Amino acid sequence: MSCNTSVTHLDASSLKRAEQVPVHLLPCEIEHNGVAQVSQYFTATTKDHKQEKTVSFRGRGLKGQEISCPQGYTGLVLKEVNKHGSDQEDRTVRISSVFNKLTYWNLETPPTSDDAVVMAMDWPEVAEAIHGSVED
Amino acid sequence: MMDLNPFEADNSVSCRLASQIPEVCRTEDCCLGVDEAGRGPVLGPMVYGICFCPISKNQELKDLKVADSKTLTEAERENLFQKLDEAKSYVGWALDVLSPNVISTSMLQRTKYNLNALSHDTAIGLIQFALDSGVQVKEVFVDTVGPAEKYEQKLSHLFPGIEVTVRPKADSLFPVVSAASICAKVARDRAVERWKFTENLGEVDTDYGSGYPNDPKTKAWLLKYLDPVFGYPQFVRFSWSTAQTLMDSQGVSVHWDDDEEDGEKAAKRQNNRSMLSYFSAPAEGEKTHQTHRFFTDRRLKSLNSL
Amino acid sequence: MAPKKRRTPNTQNDNWVVISADSIINSTKHNSDPAFLRMRNPSTDEASLYVLGSGDLQLYEVKAFEEDFHSWFVGQTVQRDGRLIFVTPMDPLYLILPYLIKSGREGKFQPVDQVVKDEDFPACSRLLSCTRSLASLHHIAEEKEVGSQKFHRYSQDRTMDWLKKKVERTVVALKKKNVCVGEGVKSTTYVRVKSESDNQEDYLRYAHGLISDYISADLSKALLGHLGLSELKSPKETEPPSKKRKLSDKPVEAEEDYTKFNSADFARKPPKKMTAAQKTLAKVDKSGMKPMSSFFSPKAKAEKK
Repeated sequence: MSCNTSVTHLDASSLKRAEQVPVHLLPCEIEHNGVAQVSQYFTATTKDHKQEKTVSFRGRGLKGQEISCPQGYTGLVLKEVNKHGSDQEDRTVRISSVFNKLTYWNLETPPTSDDAVVMAMDWPEVAEAIHGSVED
Repeated sequence: MMDLNPFEADNSVSCRLASQIPEVCRTEDCCLGVDEAGRGPVLGPMVYGICFCPISKNQELKDLKVADSKTLTEAERENLFQKLDEAKSYVGWALDVLSPNVISTSMLQRTKYNLNALSHDTAIGLIQFALDSGVQVKEVFVDTVGPAEKYEQKLSHLFPGIEVTVRPKADSLFPVVSAASICAKVARDRAVERWKFTENLGEVDTDYGSGYPNDPKTKAWLLKYLDPVFGYPQFVRFSWSTAQTLMDSQGVSVHWDDDEEDGEKAAKRQNNRSMLSYFSAPAEGEKTHQTHRFFTDRRLKSLNSL
Repeated sequence: MAPKKRRTPNTQNDNWVVISADSIINSTKHNSDPAFLRMRNPSTDEASLYVLGSGDLQLYEVKAFEEDFHSWFVGQTVQRDGRLIFVTPMDPLYLILPYLIKSGREGKFQPVDQVVKDEDFPACSRLLSCTRSLASLHHIAEEKEVGSQKFHRYSQDRTMDWLKKKVERTVVALKKKNVCVGEGVKSTTYVRVKSESDNQEDYLRYAHGLISDYISADLSKALLGHLGLSELKSPKETEPPSKKRKLSDKPVEAEEDYTKFNSADFARKPPKKMTAAQKTLAKVDKSGMKPMSSFFSPKAKAEKK
């Protein structure tokens, strides 16, 4: 079991340098961590219809929509600084980019309010009910 | 003339192009030929074409010396298309330009839509288009690569009252099929030549070769334009094994929930999991915790490390 | 076509896509940074990840949205890990409660800083720095003041009242968010239907279930009683389904407010494959439900008015 005393610090000052980026949640696992020509291949070929966006990735048809971060919430992309092997030591993550909305994509099916990620966005408001202060 | 602008305005979807319907075709019994161009290439659209004229004009069409387009050079085909255009008082045509993106996404669909089905449906759609336009179709001639007999039965059944002939190499046997072949091939050549990449790739080398997978020029082009993550621009048919093999060997792996190997296993795993969570009531005293369905419905779970 | 390559494990992950409460990144006044750390999960008794905000003033919970076969495009990069991590404010009392209960067995009033201690999770003492912790301890404990020092003793009665309020708040939120709480057949091919059996008891049970994710099984059981609800047996042991849920023996009708759905909702989705478990559930849970056709019958509509 990993060590329960190690702490991961969030370098909050890195927020100042973080830029807004477009983020897309894809319905496939891409075995890659690193650069990609997203705007050239993906954004450039994305089409906006009334209710949904369409695009192809690797020859497969995707349908998606843009959703906003819940009120009072911000999207952050965290990146570990000087990743090391040991889980005994404290770690640090910094905010590498921020976003206020994201686009999620389904494989072939049109986006609906029943999609799990849309439903997951209910969580902060329900969490507020569970965790907010109760009156005496 | 043939105007490809409607297709070029959005080459990620398919497009129908058609000539004016000659008046005489609405009043006289007509023959109609069906042929395709660009079925084999890994690049660019596949074009389905029909050509029709009154049966009485068959000899005149023959005299235009339209022959199987494959035996002609591109210039000769353009020239013959010119002649067909000049004969527009009695010859009409219609084309379905099937975008390579449509071919890829259809063939790779969850419920696979294979090229034969796509071809048949397109041919049927075009014949229906001629009928809907008032063309008095009495005879249909179709060039095919697959088994002719079954296809012929299918079409005869769908279009009762029309005499259907499906033949391999029909384009060299029936002038109206040769004419359809020329229209399709001309459109395919032009679409490839003038392909506008919607991707932001800057200047793209257009030395694609024939587009057939075994053409060294085509191969070289496919190697040059392979992106490790995205694979290819939509100009390439992702469903062709040539493209798949190159992406598998030189690109990063991408896994989908319906992948044959990964997906089935994953589905099985998920099945087991849900079976367990629904039905295995925790044994007495056993320390198990069931996450509430609010969370499982939303695929939310606690973490114990970042 | 060649068989697909197997997935390799993602060992190189050092990126996370997070949706975080603004308060974490806005409170930069304090000189200490927010920190992810492990504490004892009161429901599982095992380690879970939490965040203490700047100056330890606010506690946050960490949950990951995770579906298989997902990855991110972030700007001009691919991030293979397709999880979306939510960091939401959390009531520190849930984490403090187990320690108070444990010490309460001795029946003595004690200083909380001597109670909220854990060899396995030393970070837990930092919970007492949270602004809300000391101010709200009276919800779960009796207080005694001797001189300037405060002593506490766990109170089950207070805790039950506090948790009941939590449940009630949660019911309000669930209704507001239109969360489907009924246990009726889950329909994926039709527009979501809401039955009258989505009644107060269903909401209470659902909210109780949610709160139970933050308390021990014993406490959860006690809370159920405190809410005046009886224990439901697991489907395995239940008698014929028709007897299972008396309270839902009411007609169902189509939900009135379709406007909140995107029109995309009406586009028929290809029916999703049901898992074997869902199929079985669908069979089990038809108690008191009219056939599908009655959802759209004129009668049901007339009743609305």
